[in-house]
Amino acid sequence: MTGDTHYDLEILAELAEGVLDDVVAADVRRHLAVCDPCGESLADLAAVREVLAAVPVPAMPLGVTMRIDRALAELAPPAPVLSTPVSLGVVREDGTVAVPERRRRRLGWLVPAASVAAAAAVVGVAGLLSSFVASPLGTVAEPQVGVGTPDRSPQRAQVYTVRASGHNYTSRELDGPLLGYFGPEPGTGSNSDEQLDACVQAKSNELDRAPIAVDRALYNGNEATVMAFWEDRSLNRVRVVVVDDECGELRPDGLATWN
Amino acid sequence: MPDADLIARHLDGDPQAFSELVRRHRDRMWAVALRTLGDPDEAADAVQDAFVSAYRKAASFRGDAAVTTWLHRIVVNACLDRMRRKSVRPVADDELLEAAERDAQLPDQTAEREVSLEVTAALKLLPADQRAALVLVDMMGYSVEDAAAVLEVPAGTVKSRCARGRAKLAPILAHLRNRSDLTRVSSAKGAELRDG
Repeated sequence: MTGDTHYDLEILAELAEGVLDDVVAADVRRHLAVCDPCGESLADLAAVREVLAAVPVPAMPLGVTMRIDRALAELAPPAPVLSTPVSLGVVREDGTVAVPERRRRRLGWLVPAASVAAAAAVVGVAGLLSSFVASPLGTVAEPQVGVGTPDRSPQRAQVYTVRASGHNYTSRELDGPLLGYFGPEPGTGSNSDEQLDACVQAKSNELDRAPIAVDRALYNGNEATVMAFWEDRSLNRVRVVVVDDECGELRPDGLATWN
Repeated sequence: MPDADLIARHLDGDPQAFSELVRRHRDRMWAVALRTLGDPDEAADAVQDAFVSAYRKAASFRGDAAVTTWLHRIVVNACLDRMRRKSVRPVADDELLEAAERDAQLPDQTAEREVSLEVTAALKLLPADQRAALVLVDMMGYSVEDAAAVLEVPAGTVKSRCARGRAKLAPILAHLRNRSDLTRVSSAKGAELRDG
């Protein structure tokens, strides 16, 4: 009681919360029965609860949501890089599974001679990294004139990395970051598959830049060749091209991040 | 799918399971952190730290408590850690009186935002343990027992902290007592808490 006249707020709050012992609580209640100011203080305490409960519950801002998503994405283990191709099907809208038809093709890293085409589209993220490591200044896939068949090198001959991971990419994976999917792989080289060479060259010419790497894999269950080109290296932006065996685009070009 | 199953799937390597858990609970975790810390930047850091921590130590969830309780505990601890690092000091009585006099001179603004700002400022005057208890019980609508589970203290301790915190806030927030908009907001809030 303050000044032997009134109880302080803490005692009244403890009474309201039921944490006073019985004897003290009985004294306070007797006092409250005859003391208007203490009754008013008790009402103020009840109002505190009311005010606190009235504060709206805010939704998490989009910016915070995005940064949390990014932080958690960095914790996620990278998708496994398959050393041998695996034919994965995709579930159609009607619930059936479409299993891609596999043609005979060379598996693993293809390291031949390619004259190659002007720009190689990349797909193999692994190839990307190995290229980066080999060329720290970003001059991956430097033109190597004279390698391969000169008559198929209309602009410049170059070497690019071709990988045959067989990984079944999804659109989301190809939005990047790509580093975790491809990872470093040994060696660089070019491709002996003339059809692929022609396709890579065509895309390279179209984009007017050399590819970083190429991966023969799957895209949503369909056989695909994925090519990666720098879009803006300073911004860590990579253009991703996905084509079928006939060099037809399986989806519009997309932009991804490398790391 | 129950939260506990999402934890299990996350531990089994399902890359989407933890994202779903975050999606379900992020707003409440954000509210707890924002109210406890009173600063959006600090709250964002705390919630991010908490979710990253939960992601990493999901295996420590043993299922003897609700996932929400487990997540709240991680968030509250992240907030308290940040508050301790910033050495928030308890407010002196004369500061409380000054704050009460200052607030009493404010015009009677009816916007929810004004109430929210006043409450946020008032909560910052409380010690961390009292603030956390009041956020969970009075603001988020948890039972004393649930708050005790989150804070890992006895229920009686939660009650004492709430009582002491309310006693400190009463002089500051009493002028909001008879506001008509407060009643309306409170009713809506009560319904939300009641209906989940």
